[in-house]
Amino acid sequence: MPVFPPLLIALPPALVAHCAPMRLNDVGHLLQVMGTFLGLSLFSLGGGNTLLSEYHHISVEQFCWLTPSQFADLYALAEAAPGPSSMLVGLLGMGAGWPEGPGWALLSAYGAELAILLPSTLLMVVACLRWNRLRDSPWRIAFERGLGPITLGILFAVGLKILHTADTNTPGLIVSLLVCVLMLRTRISPLWFMAVAGLLGGLGVINR
Amino acid sequence: MTDPPLSPSSAAGGPASTGSTPPTLRQLFVGMLQVALSAFGGGLSAWSQRIVVEERRWMSNEEFLTGLTVARLFPGPNQINMAVYVGAFFHGLRGALVALAGMLLVPFTMLMALGLVYFSLHALPAIDRVLAGVVAAAAGMALSMGFKILGQYRGDPIALLLAAGTLVAMEAFQVRLVPLVLVAGPLAMAWYWPRGGATRLPKP
Repeated sequence: MPVFPPLLIALPPALVAHCAPMRLNDVGHLLQVMGTFLGLSLFSLGGGNTLLSEYHHISVEQFCWLTPSQFADLYALAEAAPGPSSMLVGLLGMGAGWPEGPGWALLSAYGAELAILLPSTLLMVVACLRWNRLRDSPWRIAFERGLGPITLGILFAVGLKILHTADTNTPGLIVSLLVCVLMLRTRISPLWFMAVAGLLGGLGVINR
Repeated sequence: MTDPPLSPSSAAGGPASTGSTPPTLRQLFVGMLQVALSAFGGGLSAWSQRIVVEERRWMSNEEFLTGLTVARLFPGPNQINMAVYVGAFFHGLRGALVALAGMLLVPFTMLMALGLVYFSLHALPAIDRVLAGVVAAAAGMALSMGFKILGQYRGDPIALLLAAGTLVAMEAFQVRLVPLVLVAGPLAMAWYWPRGGATRLPKP
């Protein structure tokens, strides 16, 4: 459990204690996964990271696809792997389908990624084709200025949520805070931080 | 992933130089695949600028930077939206989907292979120990995201209040993202609705 209680208000215990996966057949499960991400796509403000705490809610608390530490692991994998970090959704989909076997897990993974990208892609295409008219519209200006501060608040909430989910010991928390400062102050590639922290984990300095 | 800064003055000509010949769908796919492969280790935006503007000369730098603005404004991951912009610029929806496939297919398939390994092996204690460390670093990266854009709101108390209210709603009251954006979004937009041409905020 958290080593820093004043920072965070813990989840209501009821949400954590009983998480029983829903009983659905294979196709039903796939549709549930895809429908969930389709509905979230257009809320991925600020480059998509704002959705992280929603992803956590869905996959850990609502549908019980993953345990909290599995979620943290997958987040770290998606950050470490090359390519856009929004590919995390594919890993969540894979977790959802895993109990039904690797084949379904892969299908669910591709389905989930397709679902999260399709609506925002279609909107983006429309935006590109209409940009000359949109650029000076008051709607565009108000959207950009108004949603900016909300995105800022969400990003802080997301950061705390991931820190909470990582749930490492005190050395782990110190590493997290150090990485945060280094990310802001230096241009060192985050891959180095993960490599060093992974080594510290392997040596048993950081654990959860 | 952090993106290296984009070069503001690219060598690839002025706003008039909309690539001599627009790329075919196949060229779009290959170009975006090249961006994805070059960007292993981060810096996707910088690589797509280098390849799209400087090497292949499909777009002028100005057109590219406009795309970056649109990509950041609209929902969806920035780098993915950028690929959509480049594709849609030349071939509409078809181009967007082809560019998206070019950028995603290889990295995503690799990540899924990694995912299958993870779900098969994560119960091994050795792997779990290493992951515990990596997770601590990744949590630090997540924590830095908000701080990264905090500076641009320093002079705007209303924005900071909005951000603080959002944070409290999510942390203390467990308000979910969708209802939060649907309620707070329009209120914030009404407050920031442009009036009489006076700019209240430096453009983020």
